[in-house]
Amino acid sequence: MKIFNSIKWRLQIWYGLILVIVLAGFGLTAYQLERGRQFRRIDDELLRRVGVIAGVLHHPPPRRLDAGEPTFDRPPPDQLPGGGPFERDARPPTEFHLPPEAVGLFDTNDPNHFYFVINSRDGGELARSANAPKAEHVWDNRPSAKGDTLPQLRVDFFHSTAIQMFGKFREIFQTLPPGETIRVGCNIAPELKENWLVGLKLIAIGGIVLIFGLVGGWWLVGRAIRPIEDIGTTAAKISAGDLSQRINIAEAESELGQLAAVLNSTFARLESAFAQQQQFASDAAHELRTPVSVMLTQTQTALARERDASGYKQTVEACQRAAQRMRKLIESLLALARFDAGQEVLKRLRFDFRATIGECVELVKPLADQSGVKISAEGGSLEITGDPERLAQVVTNLLTNAIQYNRPEGEVRVKLELQGGLAVLTVVDTGQGIAAEDLPRVFERFYRADTSRSSANNGLGLAISKAIIEAHGGTIEVFSQPDAGTTFTVRLPV
Amino acid sequence: MRILIVEDEPDLLASLAQALREEGYAVDTAADGEDGFFKAESYDYDAVVLDVMLPKLDGWEILKRLRKLKKTPVLMLTARDQTRDRVKGLDTGADDYVVKPFDLPELFARLRALIRRSADQTTNQIEIGDVVVDTAARHVLHREKPVELTAREYALVEFLAVHRGEVVTRTQLYEHLFDENESSLSNLLDVHVSNVRKKLGAEFITTRRGHGYAIE
Repeated sequence: MKIFNSIKWRLQIWYGLILVIVLAGFGLTAYQLERGRQFRRIDDELLRRVGVIAGVLHHPPPRRLDAGEPTFDRPPPDQLPGGGPFERDARPPTEFHLPPEAVGLFDTNDPNHFYFVINSRDGGELARSANAPKAEHVWDNRPSAKGDTLPQLRVDFFHSTAIQMFGKFREIFQTLPPGETIRVGCNIAPELKENWLVGLKLIAIGGIVLIFGLVGGWWLVGRAIRPIEDIGTTAAKISAGDLSQRINIAEAESELGQLAAVLNSTFARLESAFAQQQQFASDAAHELRTPVSVMLTQTQTALARERDASGYKQTVEACQRAAQRMRKLIESLLALARFDAGQEVLKRLRFDFRATIGECVELVKPLADQSGVKISAEGGSLEITGDPERLAQVVTNLLTNAIQYNRPEGEVRVKLELQGGLAVLTVVDTGQGIAAEDLPRVFERFYRADTSRSSANNGLGLAISKAIIEAHGGTIEVFSQPDAGTTFTVRLPV
Repeated sequence: MRILIVEDEPDLLASLAQALREEGYAVDTAADGEDGFFKAESYDYDAVVLDVMLPKLDGWEILKRLRKLKKTPVLMLTARDQTRDRVKGLDTGADDYVVKPFDLPELFARLRALIRRSADQTTNQIEIGDVVVDTAARHVLHREKPVELTAREYALVEFLAVHRGEVVTRTQLYEHLFDENESSLSNLLDVHVSNVRKKLGAEFITTRRGHGYAIE
């Protein structure tokens, strides 16, 4: 099961199959070509000999002087009346002798050499070489199902010729028009054996090529798969909790290299998101520790001995302050979690933003008076669409910050105007400003430019404000000059 | 024993100060880093409880500056509980480390241990003749019988016992027995000394004229 699940093995098996098919096709073709070439050579030899015999039958050689009698009992064609080929039918040859120049073509004593059998038109045997096989073959000119039978029937006006295999013999059979038949054949066992050896050689070569191919294929597949294995190993380590792992990218340009790069950047984002999450959870826990410490210390001190009513009242009041601080923190965390999850449902109301800002200014006025800070708001009424309560929360938060981080006798100026189809709210304070290195981080959760931990501020206000503004499709920016003041600019679609 | 608490959360500072005063310590408080450092370098406290996150000057900075001047035992209070924070605290020279939220009994025990170690004591019991001072239980046994002492009287006995064999000046005693809010009426100390002598024997505390007091 495991083997078939492994890509490496599956690739190897498919590759091996294709290689076997290609090699088999190639080997078979080579084998057939070689076999065909051999048979054609044999057939040419056979045909040449048939031609010679047929020529002798047509044109018997002149009577040899030393023999004293003619080879054929008929006159040479030039002596025949009319001289046409059909005239031969009148006197069929009765005997046949190989002409001297053709003797070399048939070694009649060698059973493996060419042989011939000539039959007269009445079926009687006219001549037979000594090495011709004794067994008579039944000629069948119809194409048979047997692969060995090659009825390459060549029929012309005068001759019909066929080639056929009989066991180890290959034979040509030719019928001359008058009816004489010539069979010339030879034992092709050596050729068949040679063919078989060629086949074996091809199989051996094919096997070696297959082995090399499989080994090379295994190596190639291994090489191709190694990056995937690297990716898998790294992913496994990451899944086990080590988020700092990265895939080692050797070839950045290849498909797998690009995949690895994409995965690496995903892992990096995952790691930073995870680190942020951890930081957030740790910060949240940290923020909760102080009020819990207050409650624990207060109650343990109060319970250590009997107190009068005012002593207990003090303790209860301190616990209430701590609990309110925790409630505020929890509400902020929940709001952020809802914004993060996209679950915060904003109202879409048409309202006068200027009026809302006026209410917020009134709300923070006592705090401003307490710190000796002057607040001024300018701008005419401006209708926008959004969630009035959430936007009021943003404005209150910005105003509170502007008052808290202001200098005594400082100023907070609020301005609302329409700029390029956007409602632009600016909150300017005259406080100590924010250092340049802290500026990019002021919207981060739990980030506070100074390390003090005034209970009015849990470090989430600006993060929540940013989430609210962005959920409205707006932007919030901060500009600050140390010792001169800070400006927050909110842009909202109208 | 006089202790300084530096903590910016007012409710926590108030309850810690109250609890330590009820334990018999003289307690000074500081609500920010600058004030805390000023007090820590001005007086010889027996221990300082120092919060890490403070306005103006944070706990690490106070500790670093203080260590160049004094060996006052410092117990750091922090909301950070990660190992690296603890390592940083101890490496910077903190003598102990307590993570918020903490339990008061544990904080007290750690403070006692801190003060004991700084006085080179190994146990909570100091034996002086037939008198035993138990700094953990905060009581005194005379001939194996408990002696009724007021908190201030106990503090006087404990301080002299911890500095046994040394002459402790009246100024030192004032610094360690009374906090910044108490008016140091000089005869108040004499009243306490005479009360202790009544309860534990006239020879228990010897007077060195012009120098101070001592337990031999």
